[in-house]
Amino acid sequence: MSEFIMLLLGGLKFGAIYSLAAVGLIALHKATKVVNFAHGGLVMLGAFGAYLWIVELGYPYWLAYLIVPLIIGVFAATLEFTLLRPLRRADLFATITATIFLGIVLSEAYRMAYNVEILAVPVFWKGSPFFLGDVIVTRDQFWVSAGALIAGGISIAFFRYAPAGRSMRAMASNVRGAQLCGYSMDQMTGLAWFFAGVLAGLAGVFAAPSKGVSPELAVSIISAAFVAAVVGGFDSLLGAILGGLILGITETFAAAYVSSSAKGAVSFLLLFVVLLWRPEGLFPERAGRNV
Amino acid sequence: MSDRIAMLTKSFAPSCLIALLLVGGFWVGPYPQYVIAFTMTSIVAGAGLAMLVGYARCITLASGAMLAIGAYSSALLALNGVPFLWALLAAVAFGLVAGLLLGVPSVRFRSHNLAMVTLVFQAVVILLIREFKTLTGGAEGLRTLNPNVFGISISSDVQYLVLIALAAIAVLPLISGLLLGAFGKNLRALASNEVGSRAFGISVEKHLIVAFVISSGALAFAGALNAPRQRIIDPDSFGIILSIFSLAGPIVGGLGSLWGGIVGAATMRLLPEFLRPVADYTELVLSSMVVLTIIFMPKGIVGTALSLVFGRKAVARTALTIRSTSAATPAIRPSQSETALVVENLSVSYGAVKAVDDVSIAIPAGSIFGLMGPNGAGKTTLLNAVSGFVTPRQGGASLFGKPLLKMPIHHRIGNGVSRTFQQVAIFPTLSCRDNVIIGLGHNSIPAVLARSVADVLSTRRSQEEARQANEALESVGLREFADLPAKLLSLGNQRRLEIARAIVSRPKLILLDEPVSGVSDEEIETIAKLLRRLNRELGVTMMIVEHNISFLLSLSDYVTVLGQGRVLAQGTPDVVVRSQEVRHAYFGEERSA
Amino acid sequence: MIMSIARRFALISALGLFLGGSVAANEQGVTSNEIIVGALGPLTGATAFMGAPGRDGIQLAVENINAAGGINGRKLKLVFEHAFTPAESVSAAKKLVEQDKVFVLLLASGSTGAAAAADYVRSVGVPTFNMFGTTSIIREPFAGNVFHGQVTDGPAQAKKFVQRIRTKADAGSKVGVLVGTYAFPQSTLKYLEPELKAAGLVPVVEQFDQGSRDFTAQLVSFVRQRVKAIAVLGSFSEAGFAIKQAPEKGLVDVTWVLDGSGVNDAMIPIIGSENTRNVIGFSNFPYFHAQADEPIKLFREMWAKRYGSPPPGRPNMYDTVSYGDTYIVAAAIKAAGSDLSWKTLIVAWNGLKDARPSQLGGVDVIFPESFTPRDHQGNKEMGDAVIKDGIWQVVR
Repeated sequence: MSEFIMLLLGGLKFGAIYSLAAVGLIALHKATKVVNFAHGGLVMLGAFGAYLWIVELGYPYWLAYLIVPLIIGVFAATLEFTLLRPLRRADLFATITATIFLGIVLSEAYRMAYNVEILAVPVFWKGSPFFLGDVIVTRDQFWVSAGALIAGGISIAFFRYAPAGRSMRAMASNVRGAQLCGYSMDQMTGLAWFFAGVLAGLAGVFAAPSKGVSPELAVSIISAAFVAAVVGGFDSLLGAILGGLILGITETFAAAYVSSSAKGAVSFLLLFVVLLWRPEGLFPERAGRNV
Repeated sequence: MSDRIAMLTKSFAPSCLIALLLVGGFWVGPYPQYVIAFTMTSIVAGAGLAMLVGYARCITLASGAMLAIGAYSSALLALNGVPFLWALLAAVAFGLVAGLLLGVPSVRFRSHNLAMVTLVFQAVVILLIREFKTLTGGAEGLRTLNPNVFGISISSDVQYLVLIALAAIAVLPLISGLLLGAFGKNLRALASNEVGSRAFGISVEKHLIVAFVISSGALAFAGALNAPRQRIIDPDSFGIILSIFSLAGPIVGGLGSLWGGIVGAATMRLLPEFLRPVADYTELVLSSMVVLTIIFMPKGIVGTALSLVFGRKAVARTALTIRSTSAATPAIRPSQSETALVVENLSVSYGAVKAVDDVSIAIPAGSIFGLMGPNGAGKTTLLNAVSGFVTPRQGGASLFGKPLLKMPIHHRIGNGVSRTFQQVAIFPTLSCRDNVIIGLGHNSIPAVLARSVADVLSTRRSQEEARQANEALESVGLREFADLPAKLLSLGNQRRLEIARAIVSRPKLILLDEPVSGVSDEEIETIAKLLRRLNRELGVTMMIVEHNISFLLSLSDYVTVLGQGRVLAQGTPDVVVRSQEVRHAYFGEERSA
Repeated sequence: MIMSIARRFALISALGLFLGGSVAANEQGVTSNEIIVGALGPLTGATAFMGAPGRDGIQLAVENINAAGGINGRKLKLVFEHAFTPAESVSAAKKLVEQDKVFVLLLASGSTGAAAAADYVRSVGVPTFNMFGTTSIIREPFAGNVFHGQVTDGPAQAKKFVQRIRTKADAGSKVGVLVGTYAFPQSTLKYLEPELKAAGLVPVVEQFDQGSRDFTAQLVSFVRQRVKAIAVLGSFSEAGFAIKQAPEKGLVDVTWVLDGSGVNDAMIPIIGSENTRNVIGFSNFPYFHAQADEPIKLFREMWAKRYGSPPPGRPNMYDTVSYGDTYIVAAAIKAAGSDLSWKTLIVAWNGLKDARPSQLGGVDVIFPESFTPRDHQGNKEMGDAVIKDGIWQVVR
């Protein structure tokens, strides 16, 4: 039984990281209709930023959770402003393919700049683990799971209730209408990318101790975030969170009870099953479609 | 005759390129020959991807898996003593089947979901190759043998070059022929406008499945040809990175173009050779190149080069005066006493909203029937139900006695129903003539494949289709623009093009959805005259939905007014205009008790 | 049949080429003052931590040898080609041999890349030095022109592995084997499992995908089976994260045994200094790159002088091994005298006994290497490795 719970908690920690990454991905999609395959690259940069801040520069760890996401947010907004602007008028095919390759550009640029296989980042909350009977819960496990989920929850609240969040949703559903109400498309899009970058950077800082900083982080994160997003429901922030948790837990249990090499296949099979059986996701925001 | 030569030249041009490369290969050393051989196979793969990615705009991340299937199946067969050419054929067969397995579940999805499903296929194939160690050698790889062709062991670079060239020359015309003919045009049509495609008989799903099948076969072919030279094939060689960079080929070369796929694939294959001095930067350079191409040079290498060479075509603004259709076409004039379309108690709901509420209408054959009503009245919904784009909750409809509602959309054109759309659903990248040819409705897969062959050979059948299209264009005054891409037309002319497309199959019933929306006053007058003339000359029944009341009332023989999903009034225009219900719905006039 | 001279010429040369005119010559790559040395390895991709340091190490050795006067009056010139996949490796090898006309080829590739290149070089005959590859496909079948350097072969590594494990686990105990699903771990597993069983140990095998960071499921299984020691067949980052996660899952008092690729200082920050007690390994060379011993200290200084301040984790074992092995090649070339051809080089190489870098003015950061016409495995010695004072050290 304790083994079961430990597996559950293990899957929960990574699931929480996937959830936070997926929230950033979905938030951008909701605001701009862009599916940003480069999101994993932004998470990787966030993890790298955490390494620089904490290990190389030696500044206080807790500050990394504030500063690094802001930096990545500004970077993402700059990317949008300089490079991706022409894509606003382009079709879906162009934006998807452009972001796929942009993700590779980010990973490779990082590899060029810092040619190291992996960089280690220490955990945030040091100390001895908690014991619940036979079950061991490390402080890091607790912090990452709780922290990432809370961050995800705050994001949802922000998008639903805060003025900036609501204006982004207005922009997404009706560009002309929102413009007539005085919203600037330039500003809104930039803001959306900024927030997506912030969420990516935050996911990176959370993920850095458990995953290490390497170019491969970008691919593994975007893959997981995507599956989480589809499983939860691509336009639903809450779905993104739940999808991430489902993915993390399913992967771990599959590795334990089916076969350890099944782990890689599980995320894809999960994706496939959900797409075939319920393409709008398990927790969509709007049930059914309008004609 | 000159058409035939032109078409055949275009189909065989890629093979000529291969032949040129082969000849060039004789004069260089073994290493360049090695590179040229791989470039040739990448050209075949590029042609296949042009079909799926360039024409059909499907984002596929499964190219690596297809290359792997070709490589492993041919290598394993060769290791078991099967002569190379048979192994190659078998590999292609495996590729075709794999394309079917991938295509069937995938084609219900679009854009990023489609990409993800192909990614699933990619990951699963690689995983299976890795897991079945005893068969495939697993992660450590499989050693491949030199090909054995008619008893000769192909070991030197020159021999290999000749083998690959011959294989590529044989296969490329098959792909290019399909792309140049009707199949390629249909793919481009459905990539630019699905709704318009379905309305004229193009089953989007089936076309996409065929595209998946053929492109997978081409990829498997390339993989099988490459395998012997790679000496060891392992799952990592065919991973997601290969899929992603294969996708780059058509994008960099130019979408919607066979040569775009070919040039792009060759470029992606050759660039790393030139980047050897800065090999660390290869992937960075390649991916940056793709991003910059998408953003700043969206037409790709071939597209941009063509634009520069041929310059901008004159924008087709005004159409000439409309001439009558030629007398040679007999008008099918149904007797006025027949009823063309009968709608009985039709109801359509969106959730709790009743868009169409128990509507019954009867349209006499050969008449022009107007459907009007204020916003939200349910006019377009009713039209969509009759044309198959929306499923009614209850009720029935029949065309000349034949029940309509159970028919899928793409069968309606074959039964004599065609339509135009509120938001113009023409195919912008195709020429006006090709737009209209699609309107003929011969778009089932067997027909399309046969027509592609006919197009390449420029047979009488294909010329007849072109003639009919020209005639239809003539009758709407667009004959001058037959060869121009439809996107260059003004909105008014695009609406005329839609009408041409709708009449070319001599349908029994044409449904027109706001045919003059957004069109200038002058043009409205012209289109009204056009529609009236077509109705009289061809005897075709028309149902027109319009907001422009004067247009509708002056044109229609009969009118039905809908309000909030229900029929408010029916009859001739002058009767309906005086109806109190109608005046209440439009002007808010009080009904008298 | 009258043919113009031009056409006849064209026909004959085409035929000549077709019938396989000579692709590579026995005496290529050697001029009166230069010897061209070719090398290939992954500069990008998942195994870039092998190829880039490989290149740097070779480069360093070549420059130092040239500065000391070259070999028998000739200077070495290095041509390095990037190669990650097997296909790229064959391509690179072909280009180096047929286009650049190298005299000798160095493989700074792991497993599948080296295997593909080896297949090619066997057919062409160029003297080739495999510096990093362990898988059997590179070594079998035996080829007269393929030599292997510091890194020993699969069976030898497996025996050493088991020897290290036995110091912590008695016969009859269960030993966890955490193995990656990709090429070289799978190859090592093939040799390790039977060796473990032969030593009376019970293997418990758990697999993971390349690049894994989460080993919850595998660790939980090891806990359940109560293993005494765990052998990790994978890269140091994978091993590092597994070791780090182990206490979280209740896996304590277990010894971790790593092979050559797992032992790398970059893993120590990952596992944290409190976990280093229970981690042991073995090496194919005498010094790890951070040790205080004189030779390796000298090497680090040399490296920094040439390449500047090293990024974290550099120079690593691939820097040192490729540097050292380049000197071995140089020793073979020197022994071949001034009449250089593939044949003379191979004969000289087969006669090398205890060759070492210091014989040519280099630093002895590798074990001495010896070859015979039948045995092309240069080094057979392996050292015990432990983490001491925060770095990996070879215990002698």
